[in-house]
Amino acid sequence: MASRMDDRTIELALTDLGGRLAYPSVDLWPAVRERIVAGRRPWWRGLLAARSPLVPVAATLLVILLLVLAVSPEARAKAAELLGLRGVQIIKVPETPTPTPSPTGTPLVPGGRVTLEEARAQAGFTVRVPAALGDPDEVTLEPVAGGARVTLVYRDRPDIPPSSQPGISALVVELGGRLDQNVMGKGIGPGTTLEQLTVNGGLGFWIAGQPHQVFYLDQRGQFQQETLRLAGNTLLWEQDGVTYRIEAQITKDAALRVAASFR
Amino acid sequence: MERAQHGDVDAYGELVRRYQGIATRTAYVITGTSADAEDAAQDAFAKAYFALDRFRSGAPFRPWLLRIVANEAINRRKAAGRRATVDLSVAEGRPSGDTALSPEAAALAGEQREMLLRALRQLRDEDRLVIAYRYFFDLSEAEMAEALRVARGTVKSRLSRALARLRTVAAGEVRLDG
Repeated sequence: MASRMDDRTIELALTDLGGRLAYPSVDLWPAVRERIVAGRRPWWRGLLAARSPLVPVAATLLVILLLVLAVSPEARAKAAELLGLRGVQIIKVPETPTPTPSPTGTPLVPGGRVTLEEARAQAGFTVRVPAALGDPDEVTLEPVAGGARVTLVYRDRPDIPPSSQPGISALVVELGGRLDQNVMGKGIGPGTTLEQLTVNGGLGFWIAGQPHQVFYLDQRGQFQQETLRLAGNTLLWEQDGVTYRIEAQITKDAALRVAASFR
Repeated sequence: MERAQHGDVDAYGELVRRYQGIATRTAYVITGTSADAEDAAQDAFAKAYFALDRFRSGAPFRPWLLRIVANEAINRRKAAGRRATVDLSVAEGRPSGDTALSPEAAALAGEQREMLLRALRQLRDEDRLVIAYRYFFDLSEAEMAEALRVARGTVKSRLSRALARLRTVAAGEVRLDG
């Protein structure tokens, strides 16, 4: 009898069996967390030490900021309650993942060059421009999971010190919120400070120092990695369901003035 | 928010809790023991955390994670040596669909299940894995391809080979563990 099972029968029997196995079900997180914090990393510890200028790592606690954006249509309906970087979470970890230099060289400004008008037409959200900085010298638009990323590039500005990237003094990055329940994390290195603020009526964060990475994860489990392009200060906030961020080597007050001039 | 700022919520924990179900199950299908499966999944999550920066932006997270999990589980099996048996078993006290069956049909279904289970225990880890992805966890072909790190076209052939071997073992013609 056993050998006579046809394909369909075997498939059904397997599906049935799969639902009945004595799978363990334990919460792994406490143990995983302990290991992450303890930093038992036999094979990548060497890599870290070799690569990262941020060492000494062992005792340094870094912070990962996790922003959960809830901007699905339903969420929009409950805008006042749900918008605005709701659900920000911060954990302390031994160190942030070491950024790996991309072999092909990550372009500083991702996406295709567009005009401001094109960006506004295609972004699917309200693209705002800071009047304080004047017109951007370059605008790019890049599709990302469930939306788009618009980057405004500001080249030399007399009132802004040059960044680590030649020819760029400030970047404004705008991420549309079509993603449902994104999870966004920001790796914050040693000597970096984080401050919660209200920006243009919405919740925001001022991150001073050398933040370098942002992760976000959408409902489908698509992990997106955002690399902060300039090794400078970052002001990040949410406004009308869009996450705006300014990267520039400027003071908090200056960044807030720029933010206030977003139109 | 304030709570979050004080750092008492774990961001990566969300990911772990979201995927630990399928991760542990995948590991269990390979190791066949709960303890090893939990260890393998735990290792995988810790490694995945530190490998996040190598994660290709925009790629689906789940198959990437499963790849690490399966690797860990298979390594554990190898470390345990060839003789290690796979105890894969059915949970007790889960009547589920059987209630609709006559006692005879239920007994027959139970017998068939046992036979399949015995055959699965004797399969190669890789075959068990591909069968589990498809029939136990209902992964799409694309996801299987990612998780197994093979071309999409290869998924079908792997699956049909695994099924063929399962059938052979079930028919008692070949003992793969011999």
